Amino acid sequence: MTRRKFVMLTTMAVPAGGLLTPRRGRAAEPIPVTLYKNPSCTCCEGYAQYLDQNGFKVDVRSTNDLAEVSRNAGIPEDLEGCHTSFIGGYVVDGHVPVETIRKLFDTKPAIVGITLPGMPAGSPGMFGEKTDKFTIFAISRDGTPPRVFDVV
Amino acid sequence: MVGDDAPDTAVWAYNRTIPGPVLRLRQGMPLRAAVTNGLAESTTVHWHGIRLPNAMDGVPGLTQLPIPPGGRFDYAFTPPDAGTFWYHSHDDSLVQMGRGLAGALIVEEADPPQVDRDLLWTLQDWRLEADAQLAPGFFNRMEIAMDGRVGNTVTINGRLPETLHVRAGERIRLRLLNAAIARIMALRFEGHRPVIVALDGQPCAPHEPPDGRILLGPAMRADVMLDMQGEPGRRYRVVDDFYGRLSYTLVRIAYDPAPPLRAHPLDALLRLPANPLSRPDLASAVVHEVRLQGGMMGGMGGGGMGGMMGMASGAAWAINGMSMTGDGSAGMPPLFRVDRGRSCILDFRNETAWWHPMHLHGHSFSVLDRDGAAVPHDEWGDTVLVRPRERVRVAFVADNPGDWMLHCHVMEHQVGGLMTTIHVS
Repeated sequence: MTRRKFVMLTTMAVPAGGLLTPRRGRAAEPIPVTLYKNPSCTCCEGYAQYLDQNGFKVDVRSTNDLAEVSRNAGIPEDLEGCHTSFIGGYVVDGHVPVETIRKLFDTKPAIVGITLPGMPAGSPGMFGEKTDKFTIFAISRDGTPPRVFDVV
Repeated sequence: MVGDDAPDTAVWAYNRTIPGPVLRLRQGMPLRAAVTNGLAESTTVHWHGIRLPNAMDGVPGLTQLPIPPGGRFDYAFTPPDAGTFWYHSHDDSLVQMGRGLAGALIVEEADPPQVDRDLLWTLQDWRLEADAQLAPGFFNRMEIAMDGRVGNTVTINGRLPETLHVRAGERIRLRLLNAAIARIMALRFEGHRPVIVALDGQPCAPHEPPDGRILLGPAMRADVMLDMQGEPGRRYRVVDDFYGRLSYTLVRIAYDPAPPLRAHPLDALLRLPANPLSRPDLASAVVHEVRLQGGMMGGMGGGGMGGMMGMASGAAWAINGMSMTGDGSAGMPPLFRVDRGRSCILDFRNETAWWHPMHLHGHSFSVLDRDGAAVPHDEWGDTVLVRPRERVRVAFVADNPGDWMLHCHVMEHQVGGLMTTIHVS
């Protein structure tokens, strides 16, 4: 692996599109998303398609450094989802439904982002039946403990 | 590690080098290794692929007591087989191997094949930060249930490789050792036709790999014969394209402008002399199903996230429904017991969405078939790479008494439950 690539791989976890302020209802302008995923994980592709069908435009990037991307983005390890997206200056980790992302943009809280930990069955892009409500957590900027952002 | 202009990378090392010193000895000669533990935690050394007495196998709690900090353990055995083997820590293996504790063990044939050069590439994979130090975050829950801690920097013999200088016409025996903790490699030698002559140290019928791609899971070795038939003065790439779009150039081969060493490739035989292995009797063999379960998208436990969501033990993986985690425990019953001398078939059924290099200690096995299709070229090994959802059968003579580990060599899969033992009485 070249040194250049090494440097690229370790510095790519910079939120994309930090100045964007997407709003609900402007369907003509798809909201850009950069989604980092494990190269072998297929359900993340399913989630990317789900976003593409709901007013977003997803740039899918495979990486073997997903844990680093997630860690550098500020997601606590025990709340990690299986992929990490950067949308409009926020981190959106895991299979978060679009209504929760819209709530994030509508309320514009001063947080790092939101996460749906793990890979709950029946969540967008995932196989299986939804058997329980999903709890999505807000990750603070100041290191205070995560709090519940949304339950859907 | 990554160049003279970068800071040194802090590692854990055998004899102050990464990889550890290359141990070379002639087939039939005894090996003695006095291991003194300078770490702040216990350790052991496993002699991977060597068919040795159980007490020398280096598995803490199973074949020996762990070597405490400041302690010493003397290993002594006589490798029966010639070939490319290796040694590594088997205690806190994810961290100890991940920080560098591995090295090659080369057993030379009494009558080695005729080559111009015998080269070894010990390939290691590191996850480095911008300051060239190892990234934290071993035992990441997500990675345990995916494909482990794959890094961002692959080294050859402990250095970020630059160029392999060759002379046109020469024949190189290249010993490839994947000593990474998680990275699977698929190596292509642009403009060349490598011929595989041994896998995991055991000779096979010389053959070119399918599509010219040498597939090596963690812990696997391949001895390849490379006839350097490129153009003098030209450069060629060695590419690893296992992860598709994440393919990269591992190293470049640079030809000396001098005219070829010889007009035609050597016509010396490529086939290596056989090792003293017993061939299993398939008709009378006992068959044991080994179902590999769990991981993300695997449906074990809840939520498609392996057993992570519900299992108190933290196991993400299982073999036939049982999870042996961490470094293993002597308390868990063996997967099966088999009488010494009996032929045995392991019928691996990968029920997961992930690749697993499955390693059996103390024996070498014949790889029989994949999804029912016979495996050609008389392929043997101690580690077999099982594809997602694939069924692979291997066979061996259980001729080495003792308790032997059988586990996935993606270190995070091993500590996450993809591990068991067999007992040969």
